[in-house]
Amino acid sequence: MGRYAIRRLLQLIPVLLGTTFLINYMVWQLPGDPFAARCGQRACPDSYISAMRAQFGLDQPMLVQYWHFLKNLLSGDLGVNFNQVSVASQLADAWPITIRLGLMAVAIEAIIGIAAGVLSGLKRGGFIDNVITISTLFMLSLPIFVTGFILQWLLGVQLQWINPTVSDAATVGELLIPAFVLASLNLAFTARLTRTSIVENRRSDYVRTAISKGMTNRRVVGVHLLRNSLIPALTFLGTEIGSLMSGAIVTEGIFNIHGIGGLLFTAINNHDFTIVVPVASLLVLVYLLANLLVDLLYGVLDPRIRYE
Amino acid sequence: MRVAKGAQIAAGTALLALGVAACGGGGSGSGGSGSDGGTNPRAADGTVYIRGCEPQTGFVPGNINETCGGTINQFVYDQLIKYNTDTAAPELSQAESIESPDNKVWTIKLKPGLKWSDGTPVTAKNYVDAWNYTAYTPNAQNGGWWFGSVEGYGDVATEDPDGADGPKEAPKPAKETMSGLEVIDDLTFKVTLQAPEAVFRTKLGYTTFSPLPDAFFKDPKAFAANPVTNGPFKFVKWDHNSQIVVEAVADYPGAEKPKVKKIVYKMYKDDDAAYADLVSNNLDFTELVPPSALAGDKWKSDLGDRAIEGQQGVIQTMTFPLYDKEFGGNADFRKALSLAIDRKTITDKIFNKGRVPIDGWISPLVEGYKTPGACGEFCTFDPAKAKEYLAKAKAAGYTPPKEYPIWYNGDSAHKEWVDATANSINQALGADAGFTVVGKATPTFAEFRDLITNRKMKGAFRTGWQMDYPSIENFLNPLYKTGAGSNDGEFSDKELDAKLKEADTSTDPAQSILHYQEAEAMLVKEMNAIPLWSYGLQAGTSKWVTGVKVTPFGVLDPLSIAIKEA
Repeated sequence: MGRYAIRRLLQLIPVLLGTTFLINYMVWQLPGDPFAARCGQRACPDSYISAMRAQFGLDQPMLVQYWHFLKNLLSGDLGVNFNQVSVASQLADAWPITIRLGLMAVAIEAIIGIAAGVLSGLKRGGFIDNVITISTLFMLSLPIFVTGFILQWLLGVQLQWINPTVSDAATVGELLIPAFVLASLNLAFTARLTRTSIVENRRSDYVRTAISKGMTNRRVVGVHLLRNSLIPALTFLGTEIGSLMSGAIVTEGIFNIHGIGGLLFTAINNHDFTIVVPVASLLVLVYLLANLLVDLLYGVLDPRIRYE
Repeated sequence: MRVAKGAQIAAGTALLALGVAACGGGGSGSGGSGSDGGTNPRAADGTVYIRGCEPQTGFVPGNINETCGGTINQFVYDQLIKYNTDTAAPELSQAESIESPDNKVWTIKLKPGLKWSDGTPVTAKNYVDAWNYTAYTPNAQNGGWWFGSVEGYGDVATEDPDGADGPKEAPKPAKETMSGLEVIDDLTFKVTLQAPEAVFRTKLGYTTFSPLPDAFFKDPKAFAANPVTNGPFKFVKWDHNSQIVVEAVADYPGAEKPKVKKIVYKMYKDDDAAYADLVSNNLDFTELVPPSALAGDKWKSDLGDRAIEGQQGVIQTMTFPLYDKEFGGNADFRKALSLAIDRKTITDKIFNKGRVPIDGWISPLVEGYKTPGACGEFCTFDPAKAKEYLAKAKAAGYTPPKEYPIWYNGDSAHKEWVDATANSINQALGADAGFTVVGKATPTFAEFRDLITNRKMKGAFRTGWQMDYPSIENFLNPLYKTGAGSNDGEFSDKELDAKLKEADTSTDPAQSILHYQEAEAMLVKEMNAIPLWSYGLQAGTSKWVTGVKVTPFGVLDPLSIAIKEA
């Protein structure tokens, strides 16, 4: 398993090189001059555009630019963005918030989603199963921004239980509602995946064997059934970590959370590749690591899976 | 059964949240009614929170040309002139007197005893140094061209011979200072212009004409992040993408003193989020009420007496690419389109009367505006006459393309009105017009500007103009003079140029305005840009503050805001 992990980690290098190159290339190919929109209804002075182009190396060929990017990245120097503000410090401000939000959302998805799934799977056809099926259907049909605006309006503006927006500190308490909003859609997916998997596995041989051995119901469900049934849900949750972090743009906008999503969104709008490229590269890294983690967890959950 | 129990609670919570959310979708109630405890949370530390956004540049006034930075810089920098919040009239601020016998040589005297936030006195040299720095091409300041009319500008500013795209670089200017700027003594300096310019005095209130302290020239970069300023508020800190904090200057010498201790310029990515905070009294001021709240005048019922309505010096026009034979059309075609736009219905339905139809090329806020406007009958909806002019246009040999686009940038809220405008034109001109007008979007403002500056627009395009300073001149010279910086349609009319020049150089202000009005009247001949409407202003405050006024530029007057006494 150790060797497998190392091999997978080494594979990250070419993948990262490839994706960062593609991202650089695509940003470079975007139509429109990145500095054209910086002077409102007026054309920017030539001297300003020339100075900016020289500063950010836009007057050099694409490959040279990419080489500079790699060199700076490896030496840990991300430079400044078009507003002349340090990119590293902006990322350092935004990442912890986004990670907190993402992890809280995943936790909410895992806890509520899996619990609801297990419950409805065990009591298939019962009242609770029906209630969960209907409520997850309802959640699946609500886009995130609808849930977000409604909860903000209701809890923040009408009832005033929470502040409609999150402060700069973005504490765990403040992020609870945004994390719930972010999790709401995937929560329903997780519940349904878990339910299906539980229902299927309940009829499987090893469960019947366990029951006939005289094990308690609690042990059968808790140890045998649950471990095996979690694999699909876990795969789903693992791949979602990355998209939760990059996909938080809507939620971050509604609750004014100063995270990565908003930073990326503004940067894309302003063609500010100094932010887009490192953020996108980091997101790629998050995806890859989350996938690796999920793959390794398979081995832990299902003894039949072995990595060489 | 532990698992099951936990799951029950969790599922219950989820259901509760859903149920509550479902109920919430319905009726609208009275917003911001909670916590009427009587105590004002703002009173404790004298801090107010206003909506902001991340400036593109640091605190160097000569380099700023966008609203996010412009707003906060107006809080911390004072200029020679300031514009009256109510009337937009220019009034002396740091200057004690600004005099000129001929509008060409200006003698400017500063008030004595003015100080920078580091304690050093504000001197005439600070002004002259700052202006020279901004104008000097190698410093690459955005506002450099503002000094184009000062004598000796040609010595400090050089043109890139092949534009920014070409390989050549702009040559190094011959001098570092403009000969037209001369320090007489500590508090007096003289400005000599290349030609008389009546509006020069009014211009002096624009951010670019701020002075800069000696501290700036030691380290411009560090200064931009931590400025020394001369305005009613001074810089405290800037947390990027999140907030800028400014603090009232205790011994601010201006006639009107700051009434709050601190202003937090809180950045929002989303106008809806700011509005939600405003309604629930977490934010004290926003000048951007989102479309969702404007619809059906919801914001007025949400905010009650906390709603502020007004006008701002921004107009929307539609410009034609005169450099393009196919899409530029001829004057009669452009008049036909203008006649076919039902401005009143569009402003009523799309903007909820938040914008006012105009029939001239200048804002109703500036001196020299008159009704009926210069565009007059051609800016009044009249389908029959529109058809008549379309026939004339065709008779004169212009055949419009089958599909005639109106371009806009899709990253802000323009789609609705552009589509409505296109529909209005199509309906008015009828099915037999031989062409249809369609709204077309570029994904971003950057691409939009790129098409405009590279003169590649294939169709009419939206142009908005926010005044830099309240003067009729600002709505004409930068937009319609041959070769002017924002003359995006490449319009050129020698007669108009001559008239504008006559107006620029008139010594009598009334005479000057009269000439500008005559110049504006000439625009109707070619109709190179169609006036549409003037922007209204919709702002709101929290219940904690009082006295809030909004400037003609659509931003908060920082001296007006005060905390309500409990």
